[in-house]
Amino acid sequence: MSGTVLLRMEEITKTFPGVRANDKVSFDLKSGEIHALVGENGAGKTTLMKILYGLQKPDSGTIYLKNQAVSIKNPKDAIHQGIGMVHQHFMLVPPFTVLENIILGEESHRAGVLNMNIPAAKITEIIRENGLQVELNTNVEDLPVGLQQRVEILKVLYRGAEILVFDEPTAVLTPKKAKELFDTFRRMKEQGKGIIFISHKLDEVLTIADRITVIRRGRVIKTLERTEASKPLIAELMVGKPVFLEVDKKSKAAGRVILKTYDLQATSERGHKVLNGINLQVHAGEIYGIAGVEGNGQTELIEAIGQRVKLDAGDIQLEGESILTWDVRRRRDEGIGHIPEDRHKCGLLLPFSLADNITLGRHHQPPFVKKFQIIDKKQIRAYSRETIESFDIRTPSELTPANALSGGNQQRVIIAREMRFEPKLLVAAQPTRGVDIGAMEFIYSQLIRARDQGKAVLLISADLDEILSLADRVGVIFKGRIIKEFRREDTSREEIGFYMTGEQESA
Amino acid sequence: MDFSTLLHFLVKGLEMSAPIGFAALGAVFSEKSGVVNIALEGFMIVTSFVIVWGSIAFGSIWMGLLAAIAAGILMSLIHAVATITYRVNQIVSGVAINILAIGIARFLSQRIFAQETQSAMNPFRFPTLFGINSFAFAIIPIALLSWFILYRTVFGLRLRTVGENPEAADTLGINVYLMRYAGVIISGAMCGFSAATLYPTQWINGMTGGRGFIALAAMIFGRWHPIGAVLASLLFGYADTFRIMFETKIPFPSQFVQMLPYILAIVVLAGMAGKASPPAADGKPYEKGED
Amino acid sequence: MLKLKFNKYKFFEMLSPVIGFFAAMVVLLILVILVGETPRNAIVAIYKLTLSTPARMATVLSIAIPLFISGLAVSLAFRAGVFNIGVEGQYYVGGLVGALIGIYLPLPPIIHIPMVIIFAMIGGALWALIPALLKATKGIHEVISTIMFNNIALAFVNYLVNGPLSGITEKSQLEAQTGKILDTALFGKLNGFFRALGWPVPDYVYLDYSLIVAVIMGFFIWFLLFKTRYGFEIRAVGTSIDVSHYAGIRVKKTQIGAFLLSGALAGLIGLQEIFAIRGFYTYEIASGLGFDGIAIALIGRNSPLGVIFAALLFAFLKQAGYGLQLHTGVSNSIIYVITGSMILFIVVFNELIARYIRALRRKEIS
Repeated sequence: MSGTVLLRMEEITKTFPGVRANDKVSFDLKSGEIHALVGENGAGKTTLMKILYGLQKPDSGTIYLKNQAVSIKNPKDAIHQGIGMVHQHFMLVPPFTVLENIILGEESHRAGVLNMNIPAAKITEIIRENGLQVELNTNVEDLPVGLQQRVEILKVLYRGAEILVFDEPTAVLTPKKAKELFDTFRRMKEQGKGIIFISHKLDEVLTIADRITVIRRGRVIKTLERTEASKPLIAELMVGKPVFLEVDKKSKAAGRVILKTYDLQATSERGHKVLNGINLQVHAGEIYGIAGVEGNGQTELIEAIGQRVKLDAGDIQLEGESILTWDVRRRRDEGIGHIPEDRHKCGLLLPFSLADNITLGRHHQPPFVKKFQIIDKKQIRAYSRETIESFDIRTPSELTPANALSGGNQQRVIIAREMRFEPKLLVAAQPTRGVDIGAMEFIYSQLIRARDQGKAVLLISADLDEILSLADRVGVIFKGRIIKEFRREDTSREEIGFYMTGEQESA
Repeated sequence: MDFSTLLHFLVKGLEMSAPIGFAALGAVFSEKSGVVNIALEGFMIVTSFVIVWGSIAFGSIWMGLLAAIAAGILMSLIHAVATITYRVNQIVSGVAINILAIGIARFLSQRIFAQETQSAMNPFRFPTLFGINSFAFAIIPIALLSWFILYRTVFGLRLRTVGENPEAADTLGINVYLMRYAGVIISGAMCGFSAATLYPTQWINGMTGGRGFIALAAMIFGRWHPIGAVLASLLFGYADTFRIMFETKIPFPSQFVQMLPYILAIVVLAGMAGKASPPAADGKPYEKGED
Repeated sequence: MLKLKFNKYKFFEMLSPVIGFFAAMVVLLILVILVGETPRNAIVAIYKLTLSTPARMATVLSIAIPLFISGLAVSLAFRAGVFNIGVEGQYYVGGLVGALIGIYLPLPPIIHIPMVIIFAMIGGALWALIPALLKATKGIHEVISTIMFNNIALAFVNYLVNGPLSGITEKSQLEAQTGKILDTALFGKLNGFFRALGWPVPDYVYLDYSLIVAVIMGFFIWFLLFKTRYGFEIRAVGTSIDVSHYAGIRVKKTQIGAFLLSGALAGLIGLQEIFAIRGFYTYEIASGLGFDGIAIALIGRNSPLGVIFAALLFAFLKQAGYGLQLHTGVSNSIIYVITGSMILFIVVFNELIARYIRALRRKEIS
């Protein structure tokens, strides 16, 4: 029933300080169609949908609903115009019932007194039509995640949405529940609704989508019909042509094993298996790059190494010694350095000076403390001055607060700090996220230097080029396991991309 | 115990419980909308003064009550503006208002009654029923009304949403600020009712005796539910009445009865962190659209 | 260029207490006029009782001592992100424990007073212990638990002083109180010392050993926060729990430690009244000092230096109230109004200035 054009977004541009999130993006949706929007984190999909949903205003460009130009002022406005968003992080009130959550904001009432019967009847009808079975009088907090998602869907259907946007809906679902969700999609298609499906799970996209639009770095790369699409093609469009950053890397013989993980198993709070038996080794003087689409267990793996997290099974050893009982301080003291994914949340004390931030993590050890744990300011300042110089951090002084620095410089501070602590193992997670080209080159040279100095480097990145430039060995992570390992010189971009998408599983 | 003593105990207990109960109901409305309110004590200090003043000035106890409610609302607006619009820390605002309230009541008393620590006697009374201030009986219908408003009306549903998940409420088009103002204002008005049942015959410095804090304990013990809060208030009020009436016959010191509300609240908190805890967004100022 | 910039921000941040104070003064003068008094008389009256003679100034200082300790206690906890509202109850309990040592444990003077101080701190810390544990193990918010414990403390202390610890021997003693504190534990006065330095402080003003305690504790906390690793970790945890966790700092331990130390400091608030002024413990010791401390900590921006000024400010206001009452027709209660208003003005201005600074920062980046 693919028919009339429900939605047309034309030349949408949105810029935030320092980054162009959407660059003349054009996107359309027909009734009775499922249109998938695909791209890595930070590509611009979320911003585009926020604009559609009234949470952001575009700098330029127009939105047409059924060929009428509209302006969407806020989420309530969006709903009234028929656009319904099913968020990745649910907007539900846990102690309330399903029924209450659905009608919230659109309550049926008689002189202020809630009337629940009319909505209940209407919702029961919607449930029947769409096969979204759920008990109306249960509290949402007692429902499993899959059913909670149904409540979110019912919310938008109750408000008469004709355009439904699903943001990574299967991130929280088991494969069985995901299949049920797709059945629901098909039913909605038959009713002439249009669905925008945001995902980076290419299997699913190819199963359910009629058209696929790939976004990268704020731009639409291509819109494909399903018949034209294949996993390798999409993967290549997502990741793009290789960026040639000159990386000077001499080949090196790897040393002894520094990090070894044995069959790591972990379950998320929601009950999914996030680590499904990770086995890997990183040697001294080697960069081991973990390639993989986000959400396949990389974050959990890093957390398991850097902090004491609950593992179902498995062991992690640093130079042959199990680290499972070690708390964060011990792990750091014993030589595990960490460049975190989110530097503001995990890396820097923003109001504190650079000197404090550069010594953070070793601040409890001499020479930074004297007797009785008194801080030795002289040493701290001298050390941080040295660090700032040798790592070329742009700042007027070591006493400048960290929040006064640019993002790239802040990342330099973190890397400088970790490098100077001379770790045995350096874990780098998305080290160049949100950082300009100049800083990227610097960071790459530092990681190479670490490797040349004999450290073991575990690199996790969503940027395949980064991995290809830096890694000596590459491990492809998929669904919580390292499914294939290569030596860098023995493999190609295409081969790794192939494994990243799990292609070989269905081949 | 003979029958007349029992009857006396039953009604006296209700009279003792009512001021706490009304304040506790007010606390429930405020916290359900997400605003912590430790200024109830301050509200009550002012309203218990204004009910006397208003009655004398306007010639009837009912006008006095109206004035007290208005005064409670005015005091609560200070807390509301500071914590909701200006996102000031809710505890500090409460502390400041408690100090301010003492000053307001004493200052007005000095100006109007020429005595700083007590007012003149209020010649107007509420009608007596069974030997007590009949207004105390109003706690029951008002408690039921509160329950109805919170759980059976659109307003109540939205108010509770704002206290649990203000972001969700915002995306659904509910005005978070407005709902929180409503919650705080209701708590101020409820303190007007407290004043009506405390001792509307005269204002004396210190007469509130910490009831604003006992009301918080009652709210916690009642698990942030209006009926629970009033039942808890009844428990505390009756315990105190028992202590007063039968002091000589109780085997343990009377101060332990005084501690009871707070110890019970702690026990409840310690025993059930997780279930029936405060509204999820309680105490956190809300900033619209902070991305 | 950058160096100039963040001085600008610091300057703005310090503006709000100043603006708040002057706004409150305006309110004061308006109220004074409403009462029918002239502003000039009011200002003269205030001056007379606060700054006119060394004795008056010394009285302000004297009043500021417990206020300073209270503000210090609250601000320390807050540095670690812990909101210790329980200072009110902690000083009642700490004071009582200290008093017990002073009453029942005869010791040579050199040891007795330090023991009193130590046990007052232990008492205060003990009263903070359960709320601290509840926070660490069950995640119960310390605001709720400490408010409850405040009131439990008042009732408990009331019971003890009226009952088992009662020291009433003569009919003339009206208030419930403990026995007398032994001479060896009483806090002596420093007035002679100040007179020797050239500051003519008469004997009726209480500049006693608690001043020494306050100075030592102020210095100690300043040193702890800014010169030791523990203080660094406290400030780090108060800034960001996540970053501190990733850096290996033991967050829970740090918070509990700060909480208990805050309680210990709170235990010292009552020292002046119990050991210098009264000589025994009574349920009637000044109340509300804990709550004052919360406001003082906030106005002083949680730094020991700021708390000194805020405490002096509060003490000044209290005396100003008495001055007004003594020399004009304005009653003392006006000072409650002024104090409450001033706190509100200051915190509102804090927020307004913070918003302004955020807007400035955003402009800078883009």
